[in-house]
Amino acid sequence: MRFTTSTRGDLVEIAAAGKLNMASASELRRVVAEAAAPGGARIVVNLAGTEFMDSSGLGALVGCLKTARGAGGDLRIANVQEQVRMVLELTNMDRIFTPYPSVETAYDGV
Amino acid sequence: MPHSPAPSLPQRRALVIEDDPDIRGLLAMLLQQRGFAVAEASGGLAGVESAARSEPDLVILDMGLPDIDGLETCRRLRRFTNAYVMVVSAHSQEADLLAGLQEGADDYVAKPFSARELGARIDAVFRRRRMAEPPGPVRDADMDDEQQRAAAVQRGLLPRSAPEVPGYGLAGHCRPTRSVGGDFYDWHLQQDQLTVTLADAMGKGMGAALLAATLRSALRGAHGPSPLRTCAAALDLAGPDLYALDAFATVFHAVLDPGSGTLRYVDAGHGLAWIVDAAGGARRLGSEGLPFGIEAEAAWEEQTERLLPGESLVAVSDGFLDATGGIDAAAVRIRAELAASASAQDAAEALAAVAGDAARDDLTVVVLRRAAA
Repeated sequence: MRFTTSTRGDLVEIAAAGKLNMASASELRRVVAEAAAPGGARIVVNLAGTEFMDSSGLGALVGCLKTARGAGGDLRIANVQEQVRMVLELTNMDRIFTPYPSVETAYDGV
Repeated sequence: MPHSPAPSLPQRRALVIEDDPDIRGLLAMLLQQRGFAVAEASGGLAGVESAARSEPDLVILDMGLPDIDGLETCRRLRRFTNAYVMVVSAHSQEADLLAGLQEGADDYVAKPFSARELGARIDAVFRRRRMAEPPGPVRDADMDDEQQRAAAVQRGLLPRSAPEVPGYGLAGHCRPTRSVGGDFYDWHLQQDQLTVTLADAMGKGMGAALLAATLRSALRGAHGPSPLRTCAAALDLAGPDLYALDAFATVFHAVLDPGSGTLRYVDAGHGLAWIVDAAGGARRLGSEGLPFGIEAEAAWEEQTERLLPGESLVAVSDGFLDATGGIDAAAVRIRAELAASASAQDAAEALAAVAGDAARDDLTVVVLRRAAA
């Protein structure tokens, strides 16, 4: 799993490529904690390159959401692929993580 | 023990599975420089055998091997080892890499690789691992023994036999991919009401097993005739711990009134329960709620179904989806196995066996069958 952090306007994009599982979960937490640290960051995790996520990966996203909100910001996800969408829908976690169609639209209307 | 670790700190062990002797030598040297004790194998079968013996922390695995290929080697390694598996492959096509990752590989490096890049990646992995592990050396033999005991304890926490409920058959089956896992099922007959639970705690291995044991206790402690009240009370008990650990568990919890067949249930983000009717059709039970551990307050709804004579309730964990390839295929498989099974016990065993030996995720099944009128 590779994580690439970049700034898009007032958003922080974290592109995640590979498999989001037990092996990569702690790295995602670290990357998000770093991005959230200045406070108030609006983070979008771009999952376009994440072809697989298991329950440990979903747990890491939940932890990251708490971290971002705890620092006064927020975290959303964009560009989810089929398998990730299935995991989110099956667990009803799409209610917590609305899958946005693009990084740019993840904070539209908010 | 096959190795004699240094007295102070156990030496890291690596295994190189690569048929080209030059590349194998180069990799071995690279790893020795980093302080690994290195074992080598020139084929997949020899590699699997060596891994079983030497219990490596790291496996460097070539995809194109002369006997069994890298994918199959990886699949076999994953049956018994949690070693960090790094695929080194000339097959730089994405499909091969994805297949390798699906079989349990942790990372890959494309050939031709730079020794510096590979070294840096290995350093990064083991730096993180060291920080994640508790201090103090743990001897592998002790660990094995401990894992076996843990597995025995976890098996012991499953129901030993099903209660006799006239007109019904009840059976469960749980197979963790590693020695222990996050799945469990439970049941209870009290005042003629039959409670059935199937739950799946996040993650794999020992961490997941600890979460599962916590949740099982909470649900047992909260046990009562109303599934909604039971889940709410169990969340009060276990929720704060799950929440603090950023952990969650999906739960299907149902209470059957055997006389009427009325089935009341709460589905907390599980979504994998079906009723198979006498004609062989299957309907998936609705799931609206979030898993345990996501929110502090319970916001579930209790739903009601009826299990008619000749119908069966089937609940599975998501390992079943991995094995069958998705929800629709899972339903087809459930219908087929139910139709072909003479009893709930046969059906549960047949369903748990769908993954074969190559299961990547824990797989748990509960079948509650109502006899035909």
